[in-house]
Amino acid sequence: MVEITVDGKIFKVKKDALLIEELLAHKINIPHFCYHQSLGKDGNCRMCMVEIEGKKRPQIACDTPVKEGMVVRTKGENIDKVKRSILELELINHPVDCPICDQAGECKLQDYYMEVGLYDSRLDTPKTHGKKHLDLGSNVMLDQERCVLCTRCVRFTKNITKTSELVVIGRADHSVIGTFGDRKLDNPYAMNVVDLCPVGALTSKDFRFHQRVWFLKTQEAICDGCAKGCAIYVDHHREKYKDDTIYRYRPRFNPDVNGYFMCDFGRLGYKKENNSICQSAYIRGKTSEYEYAEGKFARLLKRHTGKIVFMVSQMLSLEELFRLKKLAKNCGAKISGYGEVLWDESFGDDFLKSSDKALNRKAFDILSIDVSQEFLSVSLLDAELVVFIRRQDVHTSEALGYKGASVFLDAYCYNSIFEGIDLILPIASHTSRDGSFVNVDGYVQYSSCVIKKNFYAKPLLTLIAQILKDSIFTCRDVWEDGLSQESMLCDIDFDTLSKTSQKIKL
Amino acid sequence: MGVKLIKREGNTFKEKIYLPAIFNGLKTTFSHFIRNLKDTSNIKTICYPEEQPKDITSNYRGVHRLTKREDGTIRCVACFMCATACPAECIFIEAKEREDGIDEKMPSVFTIDLLECVFCGLCVEACPCDAIRMDTGIFSFSATCREDFLLDKNRLLCNEPMKEGKNNG
Repeated sequence: MVEITVDGKIFKVKKDALLIEELLAHKINIPHFCYHQSLGKDGNCRMCMVEIEGKKRPQIACDTPVKEGMVVRTKGENIDKVKRSILELELINHPVDCPICDQAGECKLQDYYMEVGLYDSRLDTPKTHGKKHLDLGSNVMLDQERCVLCTRCVRFTKNITKTSELVVIGRADHSVIGTFGDRKLDNPYAMNVVDLCPVGALTSKDFRFHQRVWFLKTQEAICDGCAKGCAIYVDHHREKYKDDTIYRYRPRFNPDVNGYFMCDFGRLGYKKENNSICQSAYIRGKTSEYEYAEGKFARLLKRHTGKIVFMVSQMLSLEELFRLKKLAKNCGAKISGYGEVLWDESFGDDFLKSSDKALNRKAFDILSIDVSQEFLSVSLLDAELVVFIRRQDVHTSEALGYKGASVFLDAYCYNSIFEGIDLILPIASHTSRDGSFVNVDGYVQYSSCVIKKNFYAKPLLTLIAQILKDSIFTCRDVWEDGLSQESMLCDIDFDTLSKTSQKIKL
Repeated sequence: MGVKLIKREGNTFKEKIYLPAIFNGLKTTFSHFIRNLKDTSNIKTICYPEEQPKDITSNYRGVHRLTKREDGTIRCVACFMCATACPAECIFIEAKEREDGIDEKMPSVFTIDLLECVFCGLCVEACPCDAIRMDTGIFSFSATCREDFLLDKNRLLCNEPMKEGKNNG
């Protein structure tokens, strides 16, 4: 560790680190375009200029290693003048079409301009024009005029995905980002360039014109696309007189799990949260009042006590599975995890995509939930009621010769054929309830996203608490009630878990 | 905090019988009545609706209109600035890709709920494209159902700016 002085304050920083890394780590505002934590320095944008005592001219913070006793100034008239000149250069050919630009509101160029911009143009020659709304493929739209040529996207495709689709074409003020010939941007992580782009040059075709970003509210969650469980931000907004809608998922930095990125499949996974939510309870194929269906479920559990099988899903959270075990004990039910196929060999790769599509497969081991066929067949022999929780594979129980009543507790409705099902009781969907999940590498993460939809389906934890008539409603209650005493989870405390991911030994 | 004592007024005999105050008030009423009777052309009130107001200027904030470009197409680019600025949240916009090559973005839905609008004019001030104005001079509007007070994109585009010396009310 060495000591440096920044704007009169003394900071202890890592030796030999880049100055910009340490400034950003200490939350010091330092404008930058080309530097990104995951892509490293490039030194082309010159935006991160700082004054360093003993150096004649301002230096770029992204290519200056920290030295003992360094005195750095990030503010002041001199440095503002430098920043203003650099911004003026960046904006020479910028179309300033913020009203139609999706980036407006989260645009670095806009932010820095508001801070130190030169508000009057000195340009009297016409602007150089580039191509606008160019479809690069993989849901990415390019606007060459808005680009500041920071080459973050180029370096992403070169260093991270190693597909090298994007290049800088041309010279001087005719330099633009593009693909070679009619090649398209084509890799499973392509939409990350939209997040990486500090300006409105690369925007998402999927999000394009759907909502202005300043309306969006952000919550933290875990992607349920595969067992990797990337940390994400959920951006949602409730328009006046409308239902709360999720507009996009964005990757959230978690060094243990996904770093700064997520895959395109996971990113588009928000659509089922908007479109496939079960909007009503059904009793024998007919819609029913939610409260009535809830009561019906409780009565069914009572009537068939001792002859019930819970077929649970690997998408359920640790808390829900723990409480379901308690409920099963209470009403004499057997609990089985057999039969759910959540595996896609063609999906996985060696980066962030896992062939295992079950978000919480490891939880079955932790909570010792039986996944064998023998156990389920034996349990089904004298069963009168099978409750499918977050799964709808009736064929599994039918294949084992079960012909009795079936109940679905699920948040999603993918098919409309419910006639054979005695009761369908919607529960809160993935982004409407919080919970913890163990990913494929053994990291436990807490997803805190709770979005309240117009049709209020109760979270599974609430339903169970009402049936068991206790007051364990929240995830914290469940951890305190005994989940933290499970042998594999005993090192974890809920307060820490809700802030950072925790590794468990498997 | 100190206590400030305030003298209670209205306890004298003159004040308690009210009559002097009533006559004082009536004096004002009758003086206006006589003045108006002497010179009927200068009466401040008008016989609305037979008589229309003449003091509606181009600065008057009337019902909104969406302006057009020189080629007659919609000027609005659906940037949501007006909806963001609107304190009554009465502007409902949905954006879409503009296909005619004039611009990139345009509203597919642009609705103003006149029943919610407070006619503050912040939308006009917020607009970066001069696409919304309140210079129609329309100061009164009526409809037979609530839905008719929702001005959609087409109705807003049809609204014309006020002609000098003549109001659209």
